[in-house]
Amino acid sequence: MSIWTPLLPLAMVGTDRQASPVPSWPGEVGQLLAQVADANGNPATAVLRAAAVLAACDLAATQGILWTEPLPAAASDDALPSLPDGPVSHLVAWSLNDGPARLQHEVCIALARARCRLPTALLPQALELGRRSLSLRPLLSPVLGERGLWLAAQRDDWRFAAGISAEAPQEAQWNEGSFEQRRNFLRQERAADPQAARERLAGVLDELGAKERADLAAELSERLNLDDEPLLDTLRADRSREVRQAAGNLLLRLPDAAHPKRAMARMDALLKHERVLLRKRWQIDAPASAASDWKADNLDAVRPKNESLGERAWWLYQLVRQVPLGWWTQHTGMSPAELLHWAHETDWTEALLRGWRDVLFAATDMAWCEAFLDKWPSVALRDDPATVLALLPPAARERHWLRQLREGGTSIHLVVNQVLVACPAGQTLSASLSATLVDAIRRRAESRALNDDYALRGLLPDLCCALHADALQGMSQLARHPDETTSLAEVLQVTTHVVAVRQALHSLTISGTP
Amino acid sequence: MLTLEAVLSLAPDDASAKAARGLTVPAKWPLLGANEAAAWGECQGSGSKPYQTQVDLSGPAFRCSCPSRKFPCKHGLALLMMRAQDATLFAAGESPAWVSEWLASRGEKAQKKEERQLEKAAAPVDPQAAAKREGQRWQRIADAGQELQRWLADQMARGLGSLNSEVLKSWHTMAARMVDAQAPGLGYRVREAAVGVNNGVDWPERTLHRLGLLQLLCEALQRRDALTAPMQADLRAAVGWQHEKAEVLTAGERVPDRWTVLGSALEERDDKLTERRVWLHGHRSGRRAWLLDHAFGGRGFEQAWLVGSSVETTLAFFPGVSPLRALSAEPCSAPGPAAWPSGALGDEWMAIAQRVSACPWSGLHPLIVRDAVAVRSGDGLLAVSQGRALPLALAVAEQWKLLGSGGGRPCQLMGEWDGRVLKPLSAWEDGSPLPLWQGGAA
Repeated sequence: MSIWTPLLPLAMVGTDRQASPVPSWPGEVGQLLAQVADANGNPATAVLRAAAVLAACDLAATQGILWTEPLPAAASDDALPSLPDGPVSHLVAWSLNDGPARLQHEVCIALARARCRLPTALLPQALELGRRSLSLRPLLSPVLGERGLWLAAQRDDWRFAAGISAEAPQEAQWNEGSFEQRRNFLRQERAADPQAARERLAGVLDELGAKERADLAAELSERLNLDDEPLLDTLRADRSREVRQAAGNLLLRLPDAAHPKRAMARMDALLKHERVLLRKRWQIDAPASAASDWKADNLDAVRPKNESLGERAWWLYQLVRQVPLGWWTQHTGMSPAELLHWAHETDWTEALLRGWRDVLFAATDMAWCEAFLDKWPSVALRDDPATVLALLPPAARERHWLRQLREGGTSIHLVVNQVLVACPAGQTLSASLSATLVDAIRRRAESRALNDDYALRGLLPDLCCALHADALQGMSQLARHPDETTSLAEVLQVTTHVVAVRQALHSLTISGTP
Repeated sequence: MLTLEAVLSLAPDDASAKAARGLTVPAKWPLLGANEAAAWGECQGSGSKPYQTQVDLSGPAFRCSCPSRKFPCKHGLALLMMRAQDATLFAAGESPAWVSEWLASRGEKAQKKEERQLEKAAAPVDPQAAAKREGQRWQRIADAGQELQRWLADQMARGLGSLNSEVLKSWHTMAARMVDAQAPGLGYRVREAAVGVNNGVDWPERTLHRLGLLQLLCEALQRRDALTAPMQADLRAAVGWQHEKAEVLTAGERVPDRWTVLGSALEERDDKLTERRVWLHGHRSGRRAWLLDHAFGGRGFEQAWLVGSSVETTLAFFPGVSPLRALSAEPCSAPGPAAWPSGALGDEWMAIAQRVSACPWSGLHPLIVRDAVAVRSGDGLLAVSQGRALPLALAVAEQWKLLGSGGGRPCQLMGEWDGRVLKPLSAWEDGSPLPLWQGGAA
């Protein structure tokens, strides 16, 4: 009840309609009210005078509301030092507020490497970025510090980061940590003791959501072995398609497991070495009907509605997707390049190419990657070749791009685009490819071609995040012209900033201390 | 020299700060120079001629040849930001003619302004005529007060429950009549009461509260002759009859002190008018003060008051029983570190109670909540200290920054208390001159 409650009925109804006297209040305030209530017989003025006294007393005496609950726990002390206030922290603040996503990844990696955490004032922005970007989350955990973990626990959509202290004992990271911390723990355990990690995962499958089951199952790829087969077969029967897919992908890397063996046997029946005219050649046919044992092996007899393949091609595609790539070269004696060529001559080109592509992504094979890249089957595959480039080790990838830049047939922006697709955040290019790219861009800037090259200039800030540190200076010294457009000036401004941030982070990492 | 944060706090809005950050590239500035009095530079813009940007460091005051209406513009901010980041970029030496001319004209203007004020204060006015004019205005206001008093009684006789949009129109008419009678303060309060009707679950209490304070004003107007001079001054301010600044500067109470800037609140008013409220604490006198400035159409404020700094200056207080509003009467010294006050929360409440009992119409009070812990409550934030919780009025993004900076631990929180909610303006930890968090933007 507030001090106003006794006065409200009279004030709401009005003194014309309710001829009752102004109520009384206890204590000194009540005495004062009684003194002023005499208003020459005007009841409305009496109410107003009471309101006047109450308003003044209310203003003078109100001191918030009573709080009897215990205070929520405060954040623990931070063991990690915060990035100190200074030029670097200003650049970091710019990166989080206005920088490209790739730079934000690098900021987190560099701070973690320098063993320091984000400044407290930037934590809300960092958590907000993590809310929107799944790929940033694992990098954020190590640089949030105790304060960041505490803050994350205060808001539902930041809870992804609300694990336990990064300094907590390992076992606690698994039992009480955030998903990222659990995944990290499982990864480390798998590297040290594959069997223990497998048993740990098998023990908690029932408690996990589908996405978590799929993500943690993927961690079995480290030190994968035949002992994992029973668990993978269980996962292959999971109710979530994503989990079944993850298990199937891992089985492709175990050619001696029963599941890929059955797939190879099925393919063997469809692939014939037949004599056509004078020479023998391989012939493939799609299955004529779906077999009863398909369902148990994750083969779908019913073609999805939006599938571009016909029914039989769809069956074939699924079968191809379960056969390790090595089987094709061994079985037919053909190289990957020859097989790709052969596929184009069959009636089932798209089914074969798409199936092989899927297997390639599940179990990378260098020779197959090179074969695909040499002659990209753009008719059958809708992806960008850069996705396959991303599977190659950096050196092999770069040979490919250097060749493109040397031959000059491809626009720079297409190469840069491929570089950015293939190069994950936090990874940088070699010094030589970086120098070649910067040189090509520098020449375009000098010839004023950047003014109209919207495609290339939009990629420059991101490219700056991927360049080798030695090449960065060149990007901040691109030729400027008085007639450059505002939008180009803005892009170059951001580019210069990215360079400044990366150089600052570089010195931070080298010195090792903030 | 100003820190980067201090420069950013001068930006009229976020967009200007962002644009300025983009210009902090030395390559964009073919000319950069500075000496003790000023910093200047030429910035390559979209036109053929570069913009000439200059900053009088004593203010800081800005001038730029760019056509931007923002003040300070992005060029002026960028110039100071670069200086904060790397002063070696600026060539030392004599300023070019376009800078020294401007500095000289600024000096002249300031001098002329001072002279004008002195002239105005010293001008031989006909005291009889002035007293007569003043008496006439008081009479008009007193008549308006009587009319308002009758109107208030009518509303109460009819009851708040019968208020509808038709009746509320008459409230706005009444507000306009008060403005016409040269009592804009009364008009503002009536309009505020009208807006508060049917707004929020506790609107009847709050409306009664507002009408009660209006009743008190009407009664004070009737008994004006019986009031002391300081009380009359408070009454005059409450009805919206502002005291002349020149008069305050010459006749107001002068308090020289080291004044720490506790907080600064910017608020957009109607018609592009920006209001700035700066809250100060005197180190030696223990006095609190607030400075009220207005800037129109994005123009800047003459003097920058940086939260978490302190300056040696003399303030001239407006008259009143418990004066709070003041003017800066002398040029400020270079900013030094803050000397945060360390009084107990009970003393803060007592000061507010005394100020309210002296003048119940002063709307905002500076309040420092000692050992405040920010706690989430529903969608809002509370400041909990000594078993009491104060609701905080803060934009969502700022709530998270304040919560994060405190980390659930006690800190000193300063804000504007309106009797119901606290609008936090700064937070600090004992022993640290820099604020832990600072808010107050519009």
